[in-house]
Amino acid sequence: MDKNENMRGNENEVILDTNELRLIEGHGRLKVKLSGSRIEAEFHNLEGPRFLTSYLKGKPAEMAPLVASRICGLCYTAHSINAAEAVEEALGVTPEEEVVELRRLLYLANNLRSHMMHLLFLSVPPIKGLISVFRLREKELVAAGTRLLSTSTQLIEHWGGRSVHVPNVVVGGFGALVRGKELMESIRKIESLRADARLFVEHVLDMELPELERFRTMISLKADTYPTYAREAPLIINDGSMITDEEYVSDLEEVVKEYSTSKHVYFRGSEATVGALSRIMLNRRRLNPEAREYSERIEWRINPFLMIKAQAVELMHYLEEIIEAGERLSDATIAPNGYPCMRNGKKGKTEACFTGRGGKGIAIAEAPRGTLCHACEIEDGLIKDYRVYTPTALNSKSIEMDSVEMVKRFRPLGGEKLKYVLEDLVRCYDPCLSCAVSLDFLSDR
Amino acid sequence: MKAAFYSLTSCEGCLTTLITNLGPNLQALWKIFDIDYFKLVREPVGGEKVPRVDIAFVEGAVVTSLDKKRISQIRANSSFVVALGTCASCGNIAYTASRGVDLSKRRLRDLEVFEAEPLSSHVNVDFELSGCPVSAEEFTEALLRLLNGIEPRQPDFSVCYECKLKGNRCLLEVGKLCLGPLAMGGCGAACPSVGAPCYSCRGPAVEADLAAYLKTIEKHGIAESKATSAIRAFTGKKIAELLKNGQK
Repeated sequence: MDKNENMRGNENEVILDTNELRLIEGHGRLKVKLSGSRIEAEFHNLEGPRFLTSYLKGKPAEMAPLVASRICGLCYTAHSINAAEAVEEALGVTPEEEVVELRRLLYLANNLRSHMMHLLFLSVPPIKGLISVFRLREKELVAAGTRLLSTSTQLIEHWGGRSVHVPNVVVGGFGALVRGKELMESIRKIESLRADARLFVEHVLDMELPELERFRTMISLKADTYPTYAREAPLIINDGSMITDEEYVSDLEEVVKEYSTSKHVYFRGSEATVGALSRIMLNRRRLNPEAREYSERIEWRINPFLMIKAQAVELMHYLEEIIEAGERLSDATIAPNGYPCMRNGKKGKTEACFTGRGGKGIAIAEAPRGTLCHACEIEDGLIKDYRVYTPTALNSKSIEMDSVEMVKRFRPLGGEKLKYVLEDLVRCYDPCLSCAVSLDFLSDR
Repeated sequence: MKAAFYSLTSCEGCLTTLITNLGPNLQALWKIFDIDYFKLVREPVGGEKVPRVDIAFVEGAVVTSLDKKRISQIRANSSFVVALGTCASCGNIAYTASRGVDLSKRRLRDLEVFEAEPLSSHVNVDFELSGCPVSAEEFTEALLRLLNGIEPRQPDFSVCYECKLKGNRCLLEVGKLCLGPLAMGGCGAACPSVGAPCYSCRGPAVEADLAAYLKTIEKHGIAESKATSAIRAFTGKKIAELLKNGQK
């Protein structure tokens, strides 16, 4: 009897199916179903799991940044810096202030690069109905975007040691000597691109976007400045309350979905949205002057489509912030400080790094796509447990609920048209399915 | 000529590297090729259908049933298949990591997950361009060779060669485990140049000599077990062969 009822419940009519989503990071699919009179959406992650976090278990703690970096090819710097910080917290290592400052700079450059990549290649062209960025009529816009993209990549390459998967970020600090003077020179190059950034930001801010306001919980870090990478900063929720990083992690819940290789993450049993829009809505008073001016042009509401405008405003903020951070670091010299065990590496007497040390560590920062959290437990220098809560895993639930809302409101448009708008909606969240799959459906808990 | 750029299970860092590092030259690819499929850059012509092309660049490892289907379709429709990056050429970290997980524990509704394999475990691969991520310079060189009908080549030197050219201090000499002597070069010794050890992300070098390497690290007081665990990290499949030969 029960079984029969279940069968009937499963006889869902698929009203919309995007097939494999185009122009997003990873492989995903969105299905909207009608079950009885209820509309339900399923956001499928089709990316295969690579089990990077379970690989880390039992490995030496200093391997965390190296392996975590491989989670994502777009926000690798965020993953390796968060990993380094989580391990440091667990081991009780406090990096120097200048190290934190330079990490912040790398974080900013990576966020800038990721936003640029997303806006230029993945989100703006399809909203305009184009199949590729190279079909954009505004050629100077493409050139400006490309310049910003490659210059920010060069900055990462110079200070991270490679353009993708930076080896210079290590537990304890940086592997190579960093001189403030050289840093300034490389920053000057990106400083000259302000005009390019203005052109791009203004173009995105002038775009016409669909209306889809729906209230939900929004979360962002809250620091003294506009949040990106800040050690030990609390989080703020859009009901005005603040929570610590430990409270945040204990409020997260991993939920297995039978249609997705990645788990969804719920906050206090329900959805929460993180990302550029959450950051802007909760922190826009702390934006740098020019970015703030741009932000005042927009009437910010909880409309996921506004995420790309929020990213555009942040683009300007990050650029201003990089220049400022560079000025602060201009006199600094950061000595190589990775792997403390190496400093007294006498011949024939190499000690394992961090032997006998352990603890728990949490690192939370604002990665391009939202609040990224790495949590680890270390025992005797080896990783015992490693967890990554990615922004996309959190946003998945919101993507589904927004899709339902969208179908409810715009159903008269007809399936074919609606499909494209739905794809645009998913892309505005800037989902990164390679990241999300680090919470693979097979891992415990 | 027609070319296509596909992505299987990966971080998509290789295609991103090409996009950002080729910069303004990316568009020039369209002047040389008809590109109907380029993940992250354009909407594919013909939707999910795999187009017929002369050269197919494929990043990522084969992990899901979707990847399996995709790679056999790609092989059937492409004259020359290039594996782009370490996931595609060796399986990367996922190769070793997926072998420590009980895959039968839970099932998904419409997707199956298998142990990660490089492309060559499923289809014939014409050329492998290793690296995590792949280097844009090496990609360009291989592309130019292919365009001129010359077989592309892999670097035939180890990471140590480039590391010495850069004048870096040897990490083994300070007692730090570094896989440079075993690893295929071509990366410009990116990691040792910033003081981080090489983890051999491009697979074994042509001249890799495991027995000699183990002797060397013993001399510097580094445990063999530490080395063999590190060797398995990135290039699971290829290094497994090397380890097997080394034991003989």
